[in-house]
Order: sequence, then C-alpha cells, then structure tokens
Amino acid sequence: MPAAFPHSATLAIEHTDDGFVTLAFAVPDHRQNVLTPGVLADLAAVLDDLENRPPRRRPRGVVLRSARPGSFFAGADVARLDEVRRLPEAEIARLCDAGRALFARLSRLPWPSVAVIDGVCLGGGLELALACDLRVATDAEHTILGFPEVKLGLLPGWGGTVRLPRLIGPGPAVELAASGENVAAAAATRMGLVDACVPAEQAIETARRLVDAQGESGAVAARRRRQASAVELDPLEREFLEATSSAVILGRTGGHYPAPPAILRTILAGAAVDADAAGAIESAAFAKLARSPVAGQLLRVFRGGERNRRDPGIGSGDAAAEPSAAPVAAAAVIGAGIMGAGIAAAHLRAGCDATLIDVSAAALAAAVPGLLDEAAWDRATKRTDPARALALAGRLRTATQLAAVADADLVIESVTERTDVKQQVLADIERLVGPATIIATNTSTNPIARLAAGLSDPARFCGMHFFNPVRRMTLVEVVRGPATSDATVAAVVAHAKRLGKCPVVVRDSPGFLVNRILMPYLHEAVEMAREGVECGRIDRVARGFGMPMGPIELYDMIGLDTAFYAGLVLSAAYGDRIEASPVIPALVKSGRLGRKSGCGFYRYAAAASKPRMLGPDAGAAELIRRYALPARETSDRTIADRLLLPMLLEAVRALDEGLVRDGRDIDLAVIHALGFPPFRGGLLAWADTLGPAEVVRRLEPLADLGPRMVPTDRLLAMARDGLAFTA
Amino acid sequence: MNPGASRDPATTPVVVACCRTAIGRAHPDRGIFRHVRGDELAAAVIAAVVDRSGVEPATIEDVVLGATQQRGELGGNAGRCAALMAGLPLSTAGTTVNRLCGSSLQALAQACHAIAAGAENVQVVAGVEHMHHLPMDSAVDIHPRVFARSSRGMLSMGLTAEQLAAAHGISRRRQEEYALESHARAARAGDAGLFDDEIVPVFGHDEHGAAAEMLHDQSIRRDTSLEAMATLEPAFLPQLGTITAATSAPVSDGAAAVLVMSEAEAARQQLEPWARVVATAVVGVPPAAMGTGPIAATEKLLARVAGRGIGRGDIGLVELNEAFAAQAIHCIDALGFDSARVNVRGGALAIGHPLGASGARITTTLLHAMRDAAVPLGLATMCIGLGQGIAVLFERCE
Repeated sequence: MPAAFPHSATLAIEHTDDGFVTLAFAVPDHRQNVLTPGVLADLAAVLDDLENRPPRRRPRGVVLRSARPGSFFAGADVARLDEVRRLPEAEIARLCDAGRALFARLSRLPWPSVAVIDGVCLGGGLELALACDLRVATDAEHTILGFPEVKLGLLPGWGGTVRLPRLIGPGPAVELAASGENVAAAAATRMGLVDACVPAEQAIETARRLVDAQGESGAVAARRRRQASAVELDPLEREFLEATSSAVILGRTGGHYPAPPAILRTILAGAAVDADAAGAIESAAFAKLARSPVAGQLLRVFRGGERNRRDPGIGSGDAAAEPSAAPVAAAAVIGAGIMGAGIAAAHLRAGCDATLIDVSAAALAAAVPGLLDEAAWDRATKRTDPARALALAGRLRTATQLAAVADADLVIESVTERTDVKQQVLADIERLVGPATIIATNTSTNPIARLAAGLSDPARFCGMHFFNPVRRMTLVEVVRGPATSDATVAAVVAHAKRLGKCPVVVRDSPGFLVNRILMPYLHEAVEMAREGVECGRIDRVARGFGMPMGPIELYDMIGLDTAFYAGLVLSAAYGDRIEASPVIPALVKSGRLGRKSGCGFYRYAAAASKPRMLGPDAGAAELIRRYALPARETSDRTIADRLLLPMLLEAVRALDEGLVRDGRDIDLAVIHALGFPPFRGGLLAWADTLGPAEVVRRLEPLADLGPRMVPTDRLLAMARDGLAFTA
Repeated sequence: MNPGASRDPATTPVVVACCRTAIGRAHPDRGIFRHVRGDELAAAVIAAVVDRSGVEPATIEDVVLGATQQRGELGGNAGRCAALMAGLPLSTAGTTVNRLCGSSLQALAQACHAIAAGAENVQVVAGVEHMHHLPMDSAVDIHPRVFARSSRGMLSMGLTAEQLAAAHGISRRRQEEYALESHARAARAGDAGLFDDEIVPVFGHDEHGAAAEMLHDQSIRRDTSLEAMATLEPAFLPQLGTITAATSAPVSDGAAAVLVMSEAEAARQQLEPWARVVATAVVGVPPAAMGTGPIAATEKLLARVAGRGIGRGDIGLVELNEAFAAQAIHCIDALGFDSARVNVRGGALAIGHPLGASGARITTTLLHAMRDAAVPLGLATMCIGLGQGIAVLFERCE
C-alpha cells in the first residue's frame, strides 16, 4: 500500500493487511533517537492524517516503535535545552503545553495505541510511551525506562507528572521521577509502568494482541477515563506521602536541589485535579525549574561529562576521534594494598582479566576475598552475588613473582609511596614486559618525571592516579610526564573509561591537580581552628555550601598521617602558600590518626560497618590551642570564603601553568574527586556566579593572611576586563 | 450489664488456660533465646498450656498458631509442626495464621468463631516470633502496586508513628514519660512476682552463654531515666524525629499460648474457665495511619456489644499493645481510656514485642491481671502493619 503521508524524515509508516499502522522512528544525525522538533512535526503530520481518515480506512490500532534497535527514545534533545531555558517562563510553559497536547492526541484516537519499547526509553521518550494506551517492553538488558530530568534540575514537562501517578500511583511516581533512577523492563512491568515484558521477537505480536484484547474488553476506555480524572488518594495517605517524601528528599539533597521537591509538589497537586489542570501545573513548574540557576549548572555538568566521554585525552580535547590503539585485554596490578585491590576489582567489574601481584602471599590472600566481594557487588540487591564472585574468581590471577606481568598490555604499579621502591619495581616491570606494554603508576605524590628516570622507554609510562575508595571515586588523573607519548595517554584514557571512570589528563606537577586544589581547603580549615573557630562549625559551613564533608571531617577520613606526608610534598613545592601546619604532626605524634585510630580531630565509636562520630576530641582541641593564632572576624561567609577562595586561586594558577588542557577539566575533577557540589557547576563555574571582580573584592580583607590569599595577575586582569573563568 | 444473658454454653468460647515464655531480646549475642528455635518456643508453650489446663489431650481438635514470618524454622505450617513437637495426639490438626502484629489475637478470634459456629471446639491458640532468626524485613518482597494507594514509607512503622506524633502534637518528652512508666510498671509487676504464674520456664542462654531456665523478660529496664532517654538519636527520622529506640517496642523472641473451648466442653471436662470471649473485631485503616487501628477496632467492637448493654466505661482493664509510645498515647487519648487501667503491668515498650506472639502474650497478661484484681471485663487490642486493627473483649468467669 502506498504511504498516504508526506515524506517523513524521522519515521516510516508501515501498514499491515490486518489493519495495524506502525510508526517506526529513526532520527537521523543522532546516536540515539531523541525527540527533536523534526520528530514532533512528523508525528503531528501523521496524527493529522490518521485523525482525518474515513471510517472504512480506520486502523485497528497504532503501534509506535523505534526502527533503531536498543534505542526507543533517549529523551528530549538536550542540546536545545540551553536555548529553551533562556526563554521567558510563559514561553517555556507554552512549549510544554504544545508537546503535551501533541502526545495527548495519541490517547484520543478512536482506536488504541501501543508503544513497543526496545532499548532506552527515558524522559520525553517515556512520556511519549505513556501517552499511548498500552506499552510492551522487550526483556533485553538494554531496555531501561526512567525520568532522568531531575538530574538536570528539571521535571518531566510533556505530561510525565500527569500520566505517571494516574498509571502507577502517586507514591511510586514520586519515587521514580524524583530519584531519576532507571528501571529495567521486568521491574517496570511489576510497577505497572508497562503492560508486558517479552522477548524482542515477541514484542510486536504481543502489542497487537494487547490492542485487540484490551481494546475490546473496555480496558483501554477505562484507562483513558482514569488518565483524564483526578487520582483517588486517601487524604491521610497523601499527607503521609508528602511528609515522608519531603524528609527523604531533604536527606538526599540537603535542600540544595529545587527539582526533587518540585516534582513531589507537582505530582501531588496534579493528582488532586483533572488531567488538563494537572498539565497546566506541570508546565508552570517546568518553566520555573528550567530558568533556575541550578538547572543551568547541572546542564553544564552534564555537558562536561559528555565532553569527557568524547575526549580522547590528547589534542584539543574536542576532537570526537576515537583513539586508534587496541583496547587493553589483560591488565596487571602490582601491590595488593587497598588501592591495588580496588583497582583490580574495578577491572573485574568491567569485564577485564586482571593479575594482582604482590611479594607477600599473605597480602594477596588477605586482599582477594574483599576484592571479589567488591567486584561481584550487586548494587540493586546491595549484596555480593556469590555466583558472580565465583565466575570473576576465574578471571583474577594472583602471583608473588613479578614475572607474571609478562603477558599484560597494561601494568599498573600500586606499591608503597616510596620513590626508591617504585623506581625499582618500575624498572623491573620494564625488563619483563613486551615493547608495546603500557606502564602506569598509581601515585599521589611522586613526580612522574622522577619515577620515569630509570626507564629506558619513558614514552610508554604515565601516572594513573585513582582515588580512595576506588569503587566509589570516579575520577582518575592520567598524569603526563615530560616524555609520555600521546599514544600512551590515549590508551590509558580509553582504558579508564572502560573501567567506568572519568579520566582527566594533567601535566606532571606536585600534587597533580586534585590534591593541589584540595590542600588549601584542608590547610585553611586548620588555620581557622588555630584562630579559635570550632571544628564543627567549619565543617557545618562547608556542608552548608554543599560539600559532602567538611575539611576537618575529611582530614580524619583521609588519615592524619597520610595527610601529613602529602602535605610535605605540597608545602615543599608551594611553601609560600601552603606552609606545613604544626598541628597535623602534633596530632599524629599523639596517636590521633583519624577515623582509623578511633580519634583525630573528632572521636569515633568503633562500629561493625563504619565508625560513628561521637564529637570533638578534647585532647585535639588542647593541641590546637597550643598552636593558637590571633582570632579574626569569623562570619559564616568569611569561613566559606577562606575555605573556597584559596582553592579557586590554586585552580587559576593551574590554568596559568597549563596543568590541564581545558578549564572544564578542573570543574569535572573537583566534582568527581572532591564531591564539589554539582548544583554549583564546579569550582570555576561557581566563581563565575560571583565574577572575578567580586572574588578579588572578597580576597582584599584576607590579604594579610599571606600569599595564599593574594590574587594572581591573571585574576586581576580578568577582574579588570570583566572576563569569565569558564569560557 | 448482663453480657451472657441468653448465651448457649455449647457455642460460647471460654479460655481455660494461658501462658507465655519470658520475652527475650532479638539479639545475636545476648538474646536469651538466641540458640533456641522459634518452633521450639511454640512447642514449649503449647505443651505447657495443655499440661497446666488438665484438658484431655485427645479432645484437642486444632492448633492455631500466629506467626508473621512463616519461613525457615517457622515454615512448612509451623502450627502443625509445633503440635507434633509438643506431643499432641496425631488427630490434632494444626494451622498457621498471619495478621502481622495481630496474628495470635487473630488466631484466638478465629478459634472462638469456630466454637461459636459449632465447628472445631477444643483448640490451642498460640503465637510465636523469633525476630533474631527471622528478621521482619528480610525475605519480604511487597509488590510495588501496593504502594500505588499508599507509599513505600508506610512499611516503616516508625514513620507512621512519627506521623501520628506530628499530627496530634505528641511531644518527645511525653512519649518518653510514657515509656518510662511502662518500664516502671513492668519492673514492679516482675519484682512482685506477678508474671511468675504466666511465664513458662524454657531453657535458653544467659548473656554469658550459660544454659538455664529463662524466667524473666529481658527488655525491662530498671535503670533507665528521662535523662538517659533524652540523649538518644531519633530512630526513624534523622534530626526531625521524636521517636527513639526508647519509645519504640524492642524486637523480641518469644511465644504464648491460650487454650479455648466451649463453656459446655469445659464443664464436661470439669475445667475451670478463666474468661468468656464476648466479642471480636478487625478493621482496616489507611496504611499510613496503622497506629490508629486499635481505635477503629475497639469502636467497632463496642458497637457490636452495645446491644448487650456493654459500654466503654464497663471495661475495667485494657491491654493495648505498645508498638510505639506515640501510637499508644494517641489510642488511649482517642478512646478516652483512663491510663491507670491500660497496661497495668507494663506494655510491649518494656516487655518486648515478638510480633506474632504478642496477641497471645497480652491476652495472657490481661487474664492474669483480671483474675488478680477480680475485674469483670477486659479488652485486648493491637495496631497492625499495612493499616489494620484488632480487638477482643473478655469477661471473667466467676
């Protein structure tokens, strides 16, 4: 049968003899199907035609599917969001109304519509699927459904907050939309989000069967009535849902993110009225969120992540070229300490074979159970999957002889942080491996150039700095020594991505990037403590800013001995700004090593899982007083400025020195490694909300604290010329 | 008042005996029953109640056991298993019922309904829970569609109690005073030997690991104070919450049993009944308001007996299961009970709350208190998870 429609660029129309019309979407020029303006226009044109058909040409049902396996619709076109969020609120709301009205036409057709979902079905894609009367999902692993809008500081704005609570209930709707978590097809079926979960080859047939069965039984009509009206919810249940969800949201967001509470309010308000009124509530709420500064920052962070995924680690960074080097097939990790075991576990999790080598058989035996436990950890059940642990055990090799590195394509050295030991191990590795094997060192304090000194081919050597704990910390600093080749950097960057990490390429320099930016934050906190500011207050101010942990708590978690040694390296390099504080060695000498010893700045109660903080340690306070400094003005604002501005100055110096290829890497690194609050966009993005002139102004009253508070020439020039930190 | 005016002894249910174990903490290192299985506890109280009553074992038709976690050591129909373990005749049947926290009060109610209907007559009602061996939140997979009409939060009984406290302005201090009084009453009753008759000695292990007969409830605290309670962190709602471990019933291990039969059968076997079961009621309430279950159930029960001339004021003693202090306070306030008549020997906050056993446990404690003070009418009522309530009214036999 010839197509009765004008040519559609994004969808193909198929007719079957038994009267079904199938719309098969394939959006050109995108890796995934996304709801571009073109898709919406094509859908509108098809609906125009279907709605105007004479009765004898009426379809039995309309099937929506993707012509692209693995991608139903990944959502709206994120690239357009920046443009949209600059529009006036009323204009944004109108765009929401238009999208929702278009989708609503699907559920007003005189025959049933059904979405066949294979692959990602997120955001606007799920809203499109929800606008159909019925949904069939394939049981493929790549089929996931969810509303990720909240992660960009938004809410579903094309009817998601209207249809979802009417379909699965307000409580589950809030859980799904306010968390932004994806669900697999089976789980989606259980919660009633989709009507059936079947093997891909059964999906179309199931969809037709559902249309016939549900259409004739009146189930579709009943569902349409339910979708149009208010949701029945006991007033007590509603009150309880609101109170408990608010508490959960507050606990998760610290009150810094406006989207989750807005989603809760929108769903509850929309549930109480009919669907049309709920739609108006949704549009208004979306418009407000879209224009919020937090949405702008989250969008920026999202784009930073996307950029990082494309960045090969060499060149300008914007090249989309994939690195040409062959992927690492076998990796060896030297040193079965906490970091080595964590790195080996990350390999197993990512499906890479790993060889863990340590001179001590006892260290290997001690590391392996925890390593397998971590590698086979099932995030969904919050348990180790024993079958998976057994399977992974077969992919892990352990050895006490360094000779076991022989067949590895990548060797990651993670032995003790002693330069001489590392140099010896690296030289031994080089003798044992083939000429193409890449050698990396997981060091936090040793300059790469110095470690490379004994190597005959330093071009294949670089730093690969993981953060503790490896399972949770996504950042990896790929440190480029003076002799490191582009090919080495590109291969290690690609490998880090395969491990699920976010690699940032940095030039060799003391503390690399992250520890160099972190140290002023830690250092300043101790200086303020010496001036008499309570530790608890410093931490509270930092958490109030959005940091996951205050600097003093962080000291205790890192371990004061570890912090002391790292501090030595940094103060040797940047002594004019970061003097080694006498407080830290005094605490270490008194046996206060932080959480691990039960006492640092704070005291901790030993617990099975993790130590519980009891309160400030009186002995530590006494030690701090011994090194007291004159008291100063300490408003919360000043405390925050003193913690953050020296970090910013260090970041500006790092930019000046060309430590990273792109300033955006700094924001990415502080978010992934330090937990810098994403709602502030990163250190430089936050500084831009102040502006360089304001930064300089805020530094003025702190100038007497020394060089660490003095603006750099570049900052002064930026303030003068009104430039931004992030281009 | 004449509740028994026109009753037929052949279909009037009476309690002939009741007993319970000491209630242990569900603690892996210190719990007195940490090495004793739940089915062993159930068998122990079933054997004891038969033995104490003097009933002809051959006449026992059924064992009705309440338990909320019917798996593992309480799987495979624990009621029948416990009957076999207790040495009851092979002709005695056995079943296991689940109404969550109200399970063994439900077991009692339905056993009495059978008697009233002229069906099974002599029955052992029991309840058991081993919250250490079978934790209440493991191996439970509630369907997400249940939350479509409520919310996931309602699975946290503590949050539902927080909601009650917030909605009715029940301060943390008032909850702590209530809990302190519960401990004080239980301690006084224990020290005065008032539990001696009802507690069946069962071998368990003391905190040092020595095996011994366990005769005392493990959770009653004689050393607690308002000052100590005030230092605790909120247990369910960080920072904002008013409910702590001190104002929540502890998780517990224990069992209790009640022997019921018709008044006529008791007379035939020359057994002295303790009390008649006058009326029962169950009711659903919003899951988020699960703590209000006793209010709705008691009102329903009172409506059922109003025609027989029984009113709220005739109830001399009440056992109202204390899931949370806030919940108990709200129910007592709403029902207009005199708190001096409620949980006179302390409640679950002090004694413990072995979920499936608690209905039979409060029945046992109530009937002993009614006997000791010659109180004619007593009420046992409980709140139940997922939004339910249950109430049973007893009339003492002279």
